[in-house]
Amino acid sequence: MKKAKIEIIGMHCASCASNIERSLKKTPGVKSASVSLLLKKGTAECEDKVTWEDIEKAVKRIGYNVKHIEFE
Amino acid sequence: MHEMKHEEMKEEQESHSINGHHHDAPVEDEEIKDWWKKLVGSWLFAIPVAFLMLSSRIFGLELFSARLTTIIILVIGFPVMFYFGWSTIRGGIRGLFTFYFNMDSLIALGTLVAYITGIASLFSSTLDYSGVAAMIMAFYVTGKYVEAKARGRASQEIKKLLELGAKKARVLQGKQEIEMDVSQIKIGDIMVIRPGEKVPTDGLVVKGESSVDESMVTGESLPVEKKKGSNLIGATINQDGILYVKATKIGKDTFLAHIIKLVEEAQSEKIPIQVLADKITSIFVPSVLVLSILTFGGWFWLSSSLNRAIAASVSVLVIACPCALGLATPTALMVGSGMGAKLGILIRKGEAMQTIKKVRFIVFDKTGTITKGKPEVTNISAGVKENYLLEIAASLEHLSEHPIAKAIVEKAKLKKYREVKGFKVLRGRGVEGIIGKSNVVIGNRFLMNEKKILFKDFDGEIERFESQGKTVMIIAEKGKAVGIIAVADALKEDSVMAITTLNKQEYETIMITGDNEKTAKAIAKEAGISEVIANVLPEDKAKKVEELQKKGFVAFVGDGINDAPALKQSNVGIAMGTGTDIAIESGDIVLARGSLLGVTQAINLSKATFKKIKQNLFWAFAYNVVAIPLAVAGLLHPVVAEIAMALSSITVVTNANLLRRKKI
Repeated sequence: MKKAKIEIIGMHCASCASNIERSLKKTPGVKSASVSLLLKKGTAECEDKVTWEDIEKAVKRIGYNVKHIEFE
Repeated sequence: MHEMKHEEMKEEQESHSINGHHHDAPVEDEEIKDWWKKLVGSWLFAIPVAFLMLSSRIFGLELFSARLTTIIILVIGFPVMFYFGWSTIRGGIRGLFTFYFNMDSLIALGTLVAYITGIASLFSSTLDYSGVAAMIMAFYVTGKYVEAKARGRASQEIKKLLELGAKKARVLQGKQEIEMDVSQIKIGDIMVIRPGEKVPTDGLVVKGESSVDESMVTGESLPVEKKKGSNLIGATINQDGILYVKATKIGKDTFLAHIIKLVEEAQSEKIPIQVLADKITSIFVPSVLVLSILTFGGWFWLSSSLNRAIAASVSVLVIACPCALGLATPTALMVGSGMGAKLGILIRKGEAMQTIKKVRFIVFDKTGTITKGKPEVTNISAGVKENYLLEIAASLEHLSEHPIAKAIVEKAKLKKYREVKGFKVLRGRGVEGIIGKSNVVIGNRFLMNEKKILFKDFDGEIERFESQGKTVMIIAEKGKAVGIIAVADALKEDSVMAITTLNKQEYETIMITGDNEKTAKAIAKEAGISEVIANVLPEDKAKKVEELQKKGFVAFVGDGINDAPALKQSNVGIAMGTGTDIAIESGDIVLARGSLLGVTQAINLSKATFKKIKQNLFWAFAYNVVAIPLAVAGLLHPVVAEIAMALSSITVVTNANLLRRKKI
């Protein structure tokens, strides 16, 4: 298990944050996700097999952009 | 495996390549700037649209024929919708197709329907709402701009923290001072810090004396004295002397970096009260879409007026706003934790702000929490000259490492110690040695009895000091008691004030300690605490907390050194900072400053923040509960609905910002 920290560009409403959470949670290997509209940041608990590309894809496919991803 | 490594390397690179921008916050400013451009642009066109709409509908002025007016509005409204509002329209439509609906979907659908009525009105008898489309978009953009600005204000304290760090440092290389970027400092480098300069990074004073203003990091308002051996916190400001400081922590490991991480993590965390609002937010937009369709159908069926059906369903689309609900809790939490950070109160678990309301018992660890955790000499009673007594005592004790020995040495402040021969530590009892020609023994009554030294003259005083919770050392020279020194772990300056305040607020304050009952009671009494749990081994503190929890919620205040399990066991763990080490892992709330007043402040702050959250949630719920039915009923003009929507989220964010007015 690892933790992805994601900085997100393009969120502007509360639904945006919950959409990204939903999209992240649908990504295989992602156990849980939490996105903060205020901080423009999200965290996702995910299995080790999840790559930053997977995360980026989950965010981008619903119309938002990724500024930075860091695994912990 | 090989692939994995490759992947990780890419991660690394990706991580580093953007890392340069990691902590500056231009995204927010850019967002505000972007909304501002859209705001100005869209109003440039929306004002003429409004003028045309009003002139014909309200003032009955017919500048152009109705048909021409519609065409002009469609043309002028076009850039508002499809240039300045393009990101909203595009995002909204994408949402409709991917089933990831957001605010944009509602606005896009609402404005597009309204805009199309304009085109339709050219060929049929439908009413023209195209002007309304442009107005809604212009108001939406305006609302977003104001909201983005208010959101930016909510995080101002955190931004200040981010900007707090020093940029440049002067480092000694050989005998030369080299100016360099803070990021280039290595552990072990000696930094030179002049009066008025910022401490570049955490370090240990190796030379020099000064006072340092630490208020920006710990909330401690008085300057702190620093000398050789003192720890310095990066980003604090040196006041009056030159300090030579060895860098001990850099980059991510510094005190300031820890504080920032703590505050940020707490802010991205969700607290229980938010759960319902979040659930609603996540199904909000699709529900509103359905409701809007039902409204359209209902109106069309009941009134068989397409125009009224369109107006009502567009109103429903644009009035519904999940933002007020979604922002209610996090904005208040952000302002609250930012205010806390400024005072040296770090809210590590946002949940604590909610739980603290239910707390009934506040349990304080004694050593290092209520007391300074450092024994000091409080009384001296001598049968010889006091100076002489201290001189021989300190000369002997400076060879010992015991905390009580250190207290005596500290008190004597000798420049030169007398020569000691045959020094011996008598474990648990005292020390002895030969000074000059006389044998000197320092220790407790057991040691004196053992050495058959009489101390009858001091009996009364020993009894008195011990009943005050002090430890008494007897000094004997040549087999005769010549004086006693009483040592106590004194209360911190503001412990009494803090505990009195808490008692007044009807909390039950309790002191927990490993000391014997007599000593513990004496200290508790001095501190204003009536209940004492004494003779508790460090590992049993958590158990005692658990027992109390059967009777009510417990907050535990400790320094995290040997009471981490108790901090974890309690409902709200408040960890006291000790100098430059903050007990990050063990507390729900961490006090950067070692004062108990922080506990009362943390409680006040939490209560105020939680009250704001509740207010905000109330407004957000009430707004939607009242406004949506009004829109469904067709009682709200779409433009009015849009203005109400924009105001709802602005109200919530502004209300959160008002938390700052509260005196903590």
